[in-house]
Order: sequence, then structure tokens, then C-alpha cells
Amino acid sequence: MSIRIIGDTNIPFLSYRTIAISGSVVAILIGVAFQLLGPGLKLGIDFQGGIQVTLKFRDTPDLAQIRSVLSDLETGEPSLQRYGEAEKNEILIKGQNPGGAEGDLARPIIERLQAALNADLGQALDLNLRGVQELTDELAAGNPEGINGDVEILRAHYEPMARAVLDYRRTAGSGIFHSLDELDRIEGLSDAARAFLKGRAAVGAFALVGTDSVGPTVGKDLRRQAMMAIVFALFGMLIYIWIRFQLPYAIGAVVALIHDVLIALAGLAVTGREVNLPEIAALLTLVGYSVNDTVVIFDRVRENLKMQRGEQLDKVMDLSINQTLSRTIITSGTVLLTVVALYLFGGDVINTFAFVLLVGVIAGCYSTVFIASPVALWINALLGSRKARRRSKRRR
Amino acid sequence: MTWRAVIVVAVAAVALFWLVTALANWELAVFNWLGMPNPKVRLGLDLQGGIHLVLQVQTDDALKAEIDDLSQRLVSRAKDDGITLGAVTVDPEALRFTVAVPANVDRDALNEVIDATLPEFSVSRGAEQWTFTLPAGIANNLREMAIRQALETIRNRVDQFGVSEPIIQRQGMTSNRILVQLPGVDDPARVKDLIGKTAFLEFQEVVAGPAADRESLLRAAGGMIPPDAEVVTGERTDIEGNVIGKDYYLLKRASIVTGRDLRTARRSQDDFNQPNVLFELVPASADKFADYTGSHIGTHMAIVLDNNVSSAPRINDRIRESGVIEGSFTIQEAEDLALVLRAGALPASITYLEERTVGPSLGLDSIQRGWKTALLSLIVVSLFMVVYYRMSGVNAVVALILNLVIIMAVMAGVGATLTLPGIAGLVLTIGMAVDANVLIFERIREELAVGKTVRSAIEAGFARAFSAIVDSNVTTLIAALFLFQFGTGPVKGFAVTLSIGLFTSVYTAVFVSLTIFMVFVLRKQRVQTLSI
Repeated sequence: MSIRIIGDTNIPFLSYRTIAISGSVVAILIGVAFQLLGPGLKLGIDFQGGIQVTLKFRDTPDLAQIRSVLSDLETGEPSLQRYGEAEKNEILIKGQNPGGAEGDLARPIIERLQAALNADLGQALDLNLRGVQELTDELAAGNPEGINGDVEILRAHYEPMARAVLDYRRTAGSGIFHSLDELDRIEGLSDAARAFLKGRAAVGAFALVGTDSVGPTVGKDLRRQAMMAIVFALFGMLIYIWIRFQLPYAIGAVVALIHDVLIALAGLAVTGREVNLPEIAALLTLVGYSVNDTVVIFDRVRENLKMQRGEQLDKVMDLSINQTLSRTIITSGTVLLTVVALYLFGGDVINTFAFVLLVGVIAGCYSTVFIASPVALWINALLGSRKARRRSKRRR
Repeated sequence: MTWRAVIVVAVAAVALFWLVTALANWELAVFNWLGMPNPKVRLGLDLQGGIHLVLQVQTDDALKAEIDDLSQRLVSRAKDDGITLGAVTVDPEALRFTVAVPANVDRDALNEVIDATLPEFSVSRGAEQWTFTLPAGIANNLREMAIRQALETIRNRVDQFGVSEPIIQRQGMTSNRILVQLPGVDDPARVKDLIGKTAFLEFQEVVAGPAADRESLLRAAGGMIPPDAEVVTGERTDIEGNVIGKDYYLLKRASIVTGRDLRTARRSQDDFNQPNVLFELVPASADKFADYTGSHIGTHMAIVLDNNVSSAPRINDRIRESGVIEGSFTIQEAEDLALVLRAGALPASITYLEERTVGPSLGLDSIQRGWKTALLSLIVVSLFMVVYYRMSGVNAVVALILNLVIIMAVMAGVGATLTLPGIAGLVLTIGMAVDANVLIFERIREELAVGKTVRSAIEAGFARAFSAIVDSNVTTLIAALFLFQFGTGPVKGFAVTLSIGLFTSVYTAVFVSLTIFMVFVLRKQRVQTLSI
């Protein structure tokens, strides 16, 4: 005998519709209340513009010192937070862009920190902030091996060494040099070059993990595009399901989708998570995915209607939901498994993306059963009664 | 049945071959013969590190410079013909300039000069003021040219810097924005300077200066600025190269030669090991330069870069084609100046609208996390399928693994870019791809429950579930298309991975799964039970 999550059921789902819809409306209203009365949906740097700089520090960073160094930036005092695991010594610096200026806003932050924290380096070459090309240029200019040739020949000779140094920083050093002694462990470096770098270079207090600087123009454009993408995707669903089924079903499915999107947004608002591009991607995925269960149920409704002519539509719907129930739960379950994995282990960059899907998939499973079919039934009745009225008018 | 099995095995073999080729970084001649790109794993900026820039070309600047230039040309051509014109006022916003025409000027002669030099302008001839307006159509062409030229220049600079597989393209067909993506670049600050520098080099005659401030400069020049001259400043530095103040120069507007006349430039150093930039002129300009320097020995000539005097050496000798630009450069600065001079000047200044840099270590971390998550999801979902559907679950897991192999092979084969959200898309695909299997298996169970034979239950399960499978994949595909339309790099990567996954999962869950059933279950003469 097969294992079954649930056996044959005969739950009158449609009779719970009032409670179910009220529940969803309350959840959405909480989200709306947060939007209107509370802090509301937090738009991230992608949509609002601003600066975000992630730095990795050689030693445990002194937040108070960094804060005071950055306290009088033209773009206002940025917020600081630790990023990722504590032992990584990473800090995320977030700045607003109140004046709405375009341009390189991240640079002043880095330059100030350099002036304050790397003052002892003087003219030395900072191995934690320099890149391959710069290192190559320095080696070529110093020419520790005394190679004959013009600049191009020297550059070609020293570039692999520069690359070896930075590959070491990236992999074995996990992003930062702690001391010049680490140069001894780099194999691709000649002794002369190593000695030269030891004399010429130094290890600064921090390395750059990443920077984002989004100006107001791009932020505004992305905001508009995100709205359009979601609206058009919902519209696309409406048209497709209308073609494949009938208008009442299309409306039912799209109302359920709007429900899922709103619940996911409410989840973001309530937890105070930031909305950036990946979160919009998650919402769009949700729109595409969440409709699947609904389509499967409608498909079954259509099949059952063919076989049982004359049966009431609400009876057929309940039957179809019950028949496909284990399938609805299992498929949502497998997707949920992967989403939970992403949420727990995907890392900081993916976390909120996974959160949107997590909330959305659960909401989608629920709305498939409790929202889509009742709305389709209701619209069907509405259109049907209007048709009937029109017919009776004509008769008169 | 046999042909189905052959197709499944062949597709799996090709996919595996593609994937292995890509992962092992092989360059195979086979793909050349077939006219196909060699399979390659392409990592997005967010995974391999690099720079993403969106910049805006200030096309109005280019227009202003052009109108400025044309007005100067008119004045100097008129002078060549013995016509002295009055003051010029330029109104770049209205695309026009106005020239004072003194009463004694021969109108007909001036009209001839205008026809010869500025035929594209429409001229309104007042009593003493003639106004020259650039038609909007021509202005738009100039803007367009400025953007094309900026693209070309940035491309040149990036090429010289040696970035592999850069993306430099216009954002949209008509915008004045340029998207620059440089994978693997780890010197963000330097690259931004390199791309953003206008690098307009001019050699100009020094009329007066240097002076410590504007007033003393004007006094030295005789109280007023001549119409054919302009005030330009330069940084004054001490011996160690620190900026200690500003120098004011009065320079002739018309340049002797400009950066456009350069044949090449490279970093060099003087006798004191101070870095400088050595340049050579193209032959035609070299003659001009030689004439000028030969007849101006003993005077000073300013080398002006982006409206900033970098030095104003005395002309000691006739100079033909090569010379040296000195300034208090670091090695870096001299190297970069030589590079931008070789690559050419931007036609207009640019503004950064968006910039993102990803350090290489962040990407490495993300990749490791991504694969771990994918593996974990695969194991958990597979376990569930096998426990719940037993041997049929094994069938689904085989299809799922084949699906992942095909997705990655297709991505490598068509050169699609794998991004961090793309890895998330792959993980999601693991969860979504089994949807179709679940749909089919549940249907088969139902059919078995109403007493059908194994054979007809399997056939009915696949046949009846098919329309729902197609529907659900089409809806997700619609969303993915809008996602692709909307997204930037990483999100686009997600849309691509998701879309490829949709197509391949229909193939594996329906075609491959049914084939496996046929080979292992339906081939037997009598099938009594099905492990499901």
C-alpha cells in the first residue's frame, strides 16, 4: 500500500469561504495599516537610491571610530551594521542620498576611512585595496628583477605575479591580508619581487567587499519598471487563463495572485525587511508559480463538469479541490522545502528573496483553495445572473 | 519505445558532454566545425566580481562645445577674409549664438563666409546683431554622435586596460545612458577615473601668467581679457608633488594642436625618475606643431587637460612630432593619462547614475553557499520522492537529476550567465520540476484506485495530467518573460535559469519519466503491480 499524506477527503471548502476571505482581508489590512500608519514598506537602495558599502576589516572593527570618521559626510550620517558572521569582521555602511545627487557617492566614504585608518601607511602600496593592474604597474616601475625591455614587456612579465598575490588574497586570505608575512606563502612570486613588495607595500586596515551607489534617476526608473512588470505579469495571467478556461476562472485566479502578492508585501512590511530588485524577482516568480495549483484545480473542475453534467458548480468545485488536495499540498511542500533551504542556507544576499517566496508559497497554497475558487464561483454567478436577466428582458 | 530510449540516452549524453566540456574548460575543435560556441560556464558580475556602471553622457555639454567651436570658427574665418566681427554670446540651451556685426562690415562678404563655414545654421540678420540658430534635427544628430563617440571612446579605453569580455552598450535605443560591465576588474576607483575622465588635451599659447590670482593676471594682461583669450587655472605643486595652490593663466582660445592630433602616448620618466607622458603627433599635425614652435621659441605654451593647465613649459627649440607632458604625476596617473590619451577624448562629460562593485571574495562565498543549498535541496526533495512514491519516486529523481544536468548544459551551451539569483532559480527548479511528476503520479494512483490496470493507469496518468502541466509551465514562463524584460543583470540571470528550467522539466518529467516507465514496467508482458 502506498504512503499517503492525506486519504480521500470530502471537505466542504467552499462553505468556509466567508471565514477564509475575512482572514485574508484582515492579514492584508494589517499590511496596509503598517504601510499607512507605521514605517511601511522599506524600499532598499535599488528603488530609493543611496549608497551601500561593505568592507572587510583586518582586525575587529571599531564601530564607534568608524562612525565618528563618517559623521560629517555631505550625504548625511550613514548607518553601520555588522554583516554576516562576526568572525568575518565585515561591516555594511548604508548612506542615504537626501540631496538626490548623481555621481560617485561611495568614494568619499572610502577615502575618509583610508585617511583615518590607513594614515600610518604613508605612500606605501596598500595590498588590501589595490587591484591587479595597479600592482602590475608598481612592479613594472620598480622592476625588482632588473629585466630589460620597455613598459609593455615589464608589465607582461610582472602581471602573473600581481595576479598570484591577489588570488591569494581572494582565496587563502578570504579577502584580506593580515600581514606582509603572508607574501612568503605565495608561490607565483619571485624572491626579488617578494622582497620588493615587502619594502614597498603595506597591509591596510580594510578591504572592499562591494559597493553600490544608485542615483535617484535609476531608482525612480527601477521603481516604475518593477510596478509595471508585476501589473503586466498579472494581466498576462488573466489573459492566458481566460483563453484556456473562462473569464470567471481567470478573475478568480488573478484575485488569488493579487492576494499572494499583497500577503508577501505585508510580510515584508511587518518584518521591516528591505525591498530590492531580487525581492521583486521573487514576487514575479510567485505570480508565475502560485497560479499553477489554481490551474490544476480548474483543469479538474472542467474535466468533472464534462463527466457530471447538471451538477451544481459549487459541488463540482469542492469535489475537484478534494481530489487534487494531496497533489496541491505535496507540490507546495516540495517547493517549500527548497525555499526553506534557500532561506536558511542561501546567505544574506538571498535571504529576503527566499523570505518573499516562503510567505508567498504558503499564501499561494491557501489562496488556491480558499480564494480562487470562491471568487470564480461568485463572478460566474454574477455574470450568469446578468445573462439571465438580459435573456428575460429580451423575452419581454 | 526503442526510439524513445535512444532519444533520452542521446540527449543525456550530449548534455553531459557539454557540461563536462564547460566545467573542464576544454576548447574543442568539434564546436568550431559545427559552428557552435564552445560551452563555457559564464559567471555574472555578482559571482566573479567586477564593476557595473550606468553612466549618462551629458550631451548638452557636447552641443555647447560644438556651438562654441563653430562660433569661434566663424569669427576666425571672417578675420581671414578681412572682416572683423564683434562680441560673441553663446546661448547653448536655445542652441544659438549671437554675433555683433559692426556697421562697416560688408554684409555680402559676410554672407559668403557664413555659407562656406556654417551652412547648417539658420541665420536671422538684425541691424547690429546676427543670431545663428542650430536646427533641432541637426542638434539631435550631434547628440547622437556624441553618444556614439562616447561609446567608442569608452570601448577603446577599456580595451587598452585589458578587461576580458567587457559589456559596453547603450541602454535602450534612444537613451543617453551607457551600461558598462567589467567582469573580474578589481580596481574600481581607478577604472571609474579612467572611464570618466574627459581627457581633452589642448596645447595653447600663453598670453599672460602664471599669476597667483585672477586680479594680478588681469593686471599683467593689461586690464581686460582679449576676445580671443580665456582664463584657465592649474594646480601649483611643491617639489614633492603636494598641491599648494592655484596658478592663473591667460591662454589663446584657439589651440595649437589637440588630443585628436596624437598618434600615440606612453608613460615614461625624466632624469629624476619623475613619471611623465611621452607623446607623438600624427605627421600632418607634426608639421603644424613644428611651424608654431619654430616661430615661438622663448615663449611659453600651456598643456591643458580638461580645462586644467598641467604644465606651461618654455619652448626652447623647434619641436616636430614628439614631446613630453610633465606634471607631478604618480606612476599610476602617468600610466592612466597615457592610456586615455591613446584612447581619445570623450565628446562630453559623463555622470555616473549607478555603480556597483563586487569584490571577488564575496562572489566566491556566494557560489559555495549556492551549491551547498542546491545540493541540500536535491537530497531532501529526492528523499521525499523516494519515500513517498518508492520506485516511481526513483524514476522522478532520475528525471530531476537529468533535468539539472540539461539546464546547466544548455546554459553553458548558449553562453547564458549564471548569477546568484540564477543559482536560487536552479534551487527553486528542483522544487518545481517534481510538480509535474507529482501531478502524474497522483493521477496514476487515482486511476489505480478506481480499478484500472497498471498499464492503462500509467497511460491515463500521463495523458490526463499533460494539459495541466503545460498550463502551469506556460504561466510561470509568462512571469519569467516579464522578469527578463524588467531585470538588471543578476535578475535577468534568474529569469534565464528559470525559463530554461521550465522547458527542460517538461521534457524530463513527461518524456523521460514515461520512457523509464516503458522500459522498466510496461515492457513486461504482465504487469500486476506498480511501486508508487
